[in-house]
Amino acid sequence: MLDLLFDTSFAASVPRFVTPILLAALGGALCERAGVFNIALEGFLLAGAFAAVLGSYFTGSATAGALAAMVGGIAMGLVFAEFNLRRGGDSIVVSIAINLLAAGLTTYLLRAVFDVAGAFSDPAIVGFKGINIPVIGSIPWIGHVLSGQSILFYIAVAVVPLMHLFLARHRLGLRMRAAGENPQALAAGGVNPKRVQLWALVGCGALCGLGGAQLSIANVNLFVENMSAGRGWIAVVAVLLTRGRPWPLFAIALIFGVVDSLSFRVQGLGMPQQFTDVMPYLATLIVLTALSWWRKRNPA
Amino acid sequence: MRVSLSGIVVRFGALTAVNDVSLAIEPGEIHAVVGENGAGKSTLMNVLFGLVKPQAGTIGIDGRPRVWNSASDAISAGLGMVHQHFMLQEQMTVLENIVLCAEPVGPLGFVDFAAARRRLAESANLHGITVALDREVGRLSVGERQVVEILKMLYREAQVLILDEPTSVLTPQEKDRLFEILRSFRAAGRAIVLITHKLDEVMEIADRVSVMRGGRLVTSAPLAETSKEEIARGIIGGELPPLRQRSARTPGEAVLAVEGLGIGRRGRSVGPLSFSVRAGEIVGIAGVSGNGQAELVQALAGLKPASAGRIVLCGRDITGLSVAERRRIGMSYIPEDRQRMGLALAATVSENANAGRDDRGGFAKGPFLRRGAMAEFARDIIRRFDIRVAGPSALASTMSGGNKQKLVVGREITRATPLIIAENPTWGVDIGAIDFIHGELMRMRDAGHAVLLVSTELDEVMALSDRILVMYEGRFAGEVPGSEATRERLGNLMTSHLGQGSAVAA
Amino acid sequence: MKLGDGIFGREIVPWLAVVFWIAVVLLVLVELVGASFGDAVEGFIQGAFGGRRFAYLMATLSRATLIVGMALSVMLSFRAGLFNIGGEGQLVAGGLVAALVGIFLPGPPLLVLAVSILAAMAAGAAWAMLGGLLQLYVGVPLLVGSLLLNYPIRYFASYLVAHPFRDVPSGMVQSHLVPMETWLPFFPGTRLDIGILFILVAGISAIAYSYTTVHGYQSRLNGLSPDFAKTVGLPVDRLALQTLAMSGAIAGLVGAVAVFGIHHRYIDGSLVQPLYAWTGIIAVLLVGMIPWLVPLSGFFFAAIQTGAAGMERTAGVPKEIALVVQAAIILFVASRVSGALLASSDRKTDGGSDA
Repeated sequence: MLDLLFDTSFAASVPRFVTPILLAALGGALCERAGVFNIALEGFLLAGAFAAVLGSYFTGSATAGALAAMVGGIAMGLVFAEFNLRRGGDSIVVSIAINLLAAGLTTYLLRAVFDVAGAFSDPAIVGFKGINIPVIGSIPWIGHVLSGQSILFYIAVAVVPLMHLFLARHRLGLRMRAAGENPQALAAGGVNPKRVQLWALVGCGALCGLGGAQLSIANVNLFVENMSAGRGWIAVVAVLLTRGRPWPLFAIALIFGVVDSLSFRVQGLGMPQQFTDVMPYLATLIVLTALSWWRKRNPA
Repeated sequence: MRVSLSGIVVRFGALTAVNDVSLAIEPGEIHAVVGENGAGKSTLMNVLFGLVKPQAGTIGIDGRPRVWNSASDAISAGLGMVHQHFMLQEQMTVLENIVLCAEPVGPLGFVDFAAARRRLAESANLHGITVALDREVGRLSVGERQVVEILKMLYREAQVLILDEPTSVLTPQEKDRLFEILRSFRAAGRAIVLITHKLDEVMEIADRVSVMRGGRLVTSAPLAETSKEEIARGIIGGELPPLRQRSARTPGEAVLAVEGLGIGRRGRSVGPLSFSVRAGEIVGIAGVSGNGQAELVQALAGLKPASAGRIVLCGRDITGLSVAERRRIGMSYIPEDRQRMGLALAATVSENANAGRDDRGGFAKGPFLRRGAMAEFARDIIRRFDIRVAGPSALASTMSGGNKQKLVVGREITRATPLIIAENPTWGVDIGAIDFIHGELMRMRDAGHAVLLVSTELDEVMALSDRILVMYEGRFAGEVPGSEATRERLGNLMTSHLGQGSAVAA
Repeated sequence: MKLGDGIFGREIVPWLAVVFWIAVVLLVLVELVGASFGDAVEGFIQGAFGGRRFAYLMATLSRATLIVGMALSVMLSFRAGLFNIGGEGQLVAGGLVAALVGIFLPGPPLLVLAVSILAAMAAGAAWAMLGGLLQLYVGVPLLVGSLLLNYPIRYFASYLVAHPFRDVPSGMVQSHLVPMETWLPFFPGTRLDIGILFILVAGISAIAYSYTTVHGYQSRLNGLSPDFAKTVGLPVDRLALQTLAMSGAIAGLVGAVAVFGIHHRYIDGSLVQPLYAWTGIIAVLLVGMIPWLVPLSGFFFAAIQTGAAGMERTAGVPKEIALVVQAAIILFVASRVSGALLASSDRKTDGGSDA
């Protein structure tokens, strides 16, 4: 049974599950480092997934879908910014509201625009196909993982070192870290922390939007109500555990992605539906517990 | 660059913090702005620096009126400020902190750190400052952090440097080195504004002195034309209260005995510490903040676990006991942070006053509260400690700093426990309240209680303590009887580790 | 006198602006579906307050009961500074246990009902305390821990009524019916069960607790300033666990009321789909945790939800419009009542005391 689980097709499926979690987590990391307590990643992802389908359906282009997804995510980011940064609403309250807003709005628009309930699938939705990388694709086992994935996967992986570099050496990245650590000091230096945090939210929206696009126009070619299915919360946990540091985030997202794809795989083995549905959440809880326990024992 | 402030008025609600103040700052001059806490000096300088918008008045640079929309306007005009609480990012390096908000950037927005390094090297050498640019600010000592703040101003080529209470966190030796740097700046033609309440330092370094009291400018004159007494009178508006006399007392048994106490701390551990406090005496722990006093107090109160050693209170080993148990056995604690630890600001005065009570019967009947009894108790404390507040059902947040502190002190002292721990009990409090609180602590000592006073204000420690322990780098550097304590002697003990510490080179 | 100054400008105008924006959102959404605004409004009013012999009004009250119950549960936690958002899981735990005990416990109906309710409260309390223990002993922030705990219990309950305890002949994913004699009776002349009375009692107890007991007083201080509570020696850990237990118990009670009063069995998803727990949370946030306003707030949101269902029936407007409107309300209100949560904002990711 073990080899059934770990054959090459399993390996190839892992990146499909890692991508949305990784992208959402990277977006969350930006907010975390900039001092914005954003737990609305679930809503951001969902908005992105729906926008991707909208964009792809009406233009026949997957790229347009991805761009639309980014717009959708950024829109949510701007809503967050308006009510949290500009109007001073508590970030937890705003996050809860945005999660509900995204769930309600996407389901509503599903009915209003496409006149369906539950799920929308249509040949007019163009998705991302896998990209075959010539030499790498022929390496046994790992070749299946690295080659043939959607462009969004490669973008996600590329963002990891890019974000690290951005935070370490870019002016805006530096200011974001300052806003996250000591916004008062940043203000005393003449830079408005809220302006910096606004950019963090925009970046977060764009990244989560792309994550949503992976869900709806790369992994499959349809939109299902509440498609994000908890991945946004898993991303929140990942950000929390790694305090928004890109490389550890990558590692954690990989772990969660593996578990997520495992639960999907296990479905075909006759386990009750509920068990496979709950696996990602249980795994997240276990990893969170284990790491928190370890951290309590070994304060850095 | 000449700076002038004309007719500045600042109001916060009903309170007029700055009342029609006009001041001139000349280049090549060290201008001291003095006054007690709450006199309005920090607020005035925050106006100059663009952090606070005045209701009236103008700022003039070289004769031309200017308006600041934010601190960045002031900074680009050539003003720099080192605040009382440092504005630093602890998890970033010294270099990152210095360039933040004035970053030299390349085409894509990436910071050119190499260029920044070169520019810094020049300025720093000119004034004899050395500092490691790649160390994390969080790991620097307080004196070193102040150097970083000063470098920030140098990097931005500030012509007018404002320093808000710069020496309150320095050892006497570090203060000397700071003053040398300031003299070097003065020689280079910069103007320096020094906000302070320490008269001795004013006499030592200032060229001009402006005195503020209650939001108004009382006097402004060159140092040569005034005297220490005149300045002091200007600050108080009357005569100084007579120096507190300590009545001779023979202390009784040890109420608190600490043996080999060790407390973990990130990077530099605290301890081992051994000392005792006897009934009827005040033991003062002096030292610059950051040398382990906070950890010591937290370990004594039960808020932080000890990693080694024993604490004995009234004959019982309390090392592993909870906060509540320690309080019940005989401890009261006046914390340094009255806003977060001393009070629940959003609760009423009555709720705050009754919060630390052990005698449940006094404020509860079974599981239910007796609100009437609680209000009576609160009213009693308000009366005895002369707290200015509308009543027991007023919110704690409506009180001024001094009154908040009196409430905390009142609540803790009323418990009349054998041991009272007071941590910076008069920080940020007006002179009237300071005097009152000191009087209360003395009263407890005279009545036979043991008082442990932990304070970063040398004057306070020297005035009240029967014995003084000096803390440095997590250990006791020495003990001095209260009658023999002088600033020089204590100052020497504060830097007793030769060769380590501040990176400020002469 | 400028419009902006004075009480009018400061208090009334901003609220009018909120109402205005919500109306705009509503208009746009209704237009998008091509429905008639007039039909929509009529459908809403009917759906929330009308119906033959006020059947819909009863439905609204019934829903409001559950929402208000959950709001009370959440309020207790939030006022103590505990970010317990695991109400959904506690609700499910309570409902599941209530149904199973009701089905399998032999004995006179009143006893079975009483034991079921108590068992449900215990289950809810236990599940809530689990989140607290995770924070206390492991350092998992309550916010995240309580949220994640929602899922295992949801899926476990789902599994139980899909397989071992399923009422197979009924053809749906649900448990058997609890004995008819245990069903909560209706108020005479209506179709509203008396479950609302249980919630009323719970509510009064919760308010009395908060204002008149020592425990409530200490919990409140801890909620306002955790550093202060620790410094004066309040037993903060014990307070937290006890408050969570109370919170969870109320959620469990709500689950029992739903089972014995409305569904008469545990139906998979019946406690989760209608978002009772989340609506309870936003009902509390709307009124800034002022206790006596919570029932009004709960009714308000219940009416929005049943009214939206009416809108769908009459004018074809998808009922998810309710979610959008509720979210919009909270967004606007969040900016105005932030003060209540500010004290606890330091604790969002605090993994409990690790002194």
